[in-house]
Amino acid sequence: MLAAFYGVVAAWTVDVDGARIAEGAARAADFFGGWLRPDFMTRWADIREGLVESVAMTVVATAAGFLLSVPFGLGASKNLAPGPIYAACRGALAVFRAFHEILVAILFVAMFGFGGFAGVMTLGVATVGFLGKLLAEAVEEIDPGPLDALTAAGATWACRIMYGVLPQVMPRILGLTLYRLDINFRESAIIGLVGAGGIGATLITAFARYEFESVSAILILIISMLFGAELLSSRLRRRLL
Amino acid sequence: MSAPDLVLEVDGLVVRYGDGPDVLDDLSFSMGPREIVGLIGASGAGKSTLLRAVQRLVEPTAGSVRLAGTELTTLGAGGLRDARRHMGMIFQEHALVDRLTVMENVLCGALGRTSFWRALRRTFDPVDVAHAFELLERMGLSGLEDRRCDELSGGQRQRVGIARALLQNPKLLLVDEPTASLDPAASARIMTLISELCVEGGLSALINLHDVPLARRFCPRILALHEGRIAFDGPPSELTDAVLTEVYGEEAVEAHVAVGRGAKDDHGD
Repeated sequence: MLAAFYGVVAAWTVDVDGARIAEGAARAADFFGGWLRPDFMTRWADIREGLVESVAMTVVATAAGFLLSVPFGLGASKNLAPGPIYAACRGALAVFRAFHEILVAILFVAMFGFGGFAGVMTLGVATVGFLGKLLAEAVEEIDPGPLDALTAAGATWACRIMYGVLPQVMPRILGLTLYRLDINFRESAIIGLVGAGGIGATLITAFARYEFESVSAILILIISMLFGAELLSSRLRRRLL
Repeated sequence: MSAPDLVLEVDGLVVRYGDGPDVLDDLSFSMGPREIVGLIGASGAGKSTLLRAVQRLVEPTAGSVRLAGTELTTLGAGGLRDARRHMGMIFQEHALVDRLTVMENVLCGALGRTSFWRALRRTFDPVDVAHAFELLERMGLSGLEDRRCDELSGGQRQRVGIARALLQNPKLLLVDEPTASLDPAASARIMTLISELCVEGGLSALINLHDVPLARRFCPRILALHEGRIAFDGPPSELTDAVLTEVYGEEAVEAHVAVGRGAKDDHGD
């Protein structure tokens, strides 16, 4: 009852300006008109450059992020890492995950200038934070039996990790990496808005120029690529896992 | 036996967790070459802890453990790794890496003497690989080399664990409840296998068993633990009901004795 009452009062306080809506409706019609007439050709060079840069950023950031997440993830596992290393790695991973990618992108653009490099750094950091934390959680849940057996057989630390830990967690981590690949591609579209390269920059430019036909084309391409990535990823999963 | 011949010497071993009671209290015993010793005792008497303490998977609180003359308790990481290569441990829960194949699991026994890069590329020493094939054949597992371990039955997994331990070419086998989840027939088969392997390879073995008749049948020497102390150390023939009562309590002994007598009656009167 109280919730319903609050709902009504809250709705009342929302500032609804009828005139503004009417104006917006006209503009909306304009947008949607543009949706229906996607124009791939006029800005094709820019679109292609933006997409290629987005894909490149995504692949490089995901691959590098995956490789770097292994030491951080192992170091952040309570059952493997000694105290100080555990604290340092957990801290580092928390920092990497603390800020939304847009803020991180702004920071890297300020440091490295506009373009793809800032984008790769942004997505890379986000990937390390994401995969590192999930890897640590997976490692902390492993069956300690095999690891004990390898210790008892006199294997070195590195061999123990390789045979006793990684086989237990790798399938899950590979699955999560494929998931992150997808996320990174979507992010690459957005961080372009703040100048970190990729299709996002092309998109915001087209928008600013009111070239809704181009905007529409770009959005359709992004959606198709995401669908394609989804299909590819399910096929890869079935093969690998 | 003079001291250098002894495979394992445990002297005044104490294991205590934090402020708790002593799990192992001043244990002393030694094992010579080619000795098969059955370790019996009630659950919680410290049998598994003893095996793990010898391997330093559990750190001894006090006392000494010597493997073929080398003091284990004071070894650094490198020395301990080397020493562990000479002790093969067979775990109750098999402790295999499920996602890897049988061959990869057996070759884990050779990891102690394989460099990281060879281990990474899975290019083990051909001598080790040949030995692994031999061991698998001896275990009756030929043809299963490329199967993933989680596709095997319990008995098969047990034998992969045994092959892995033997690939180390150890001096001493530490066996933790090899028959825990096996039926009587399978238990007898595994114990026969372990005995034969020890004789063939000239190994000593310390075998943790919960089944007293099985221990009597296969182990020429029995070590009984009671509340962290040795209650009996001698041949099965000297293992009287009085000792068993001390170790396991009245009701358990009656059950054991009934089983033992039943078997005798079938052949006797």
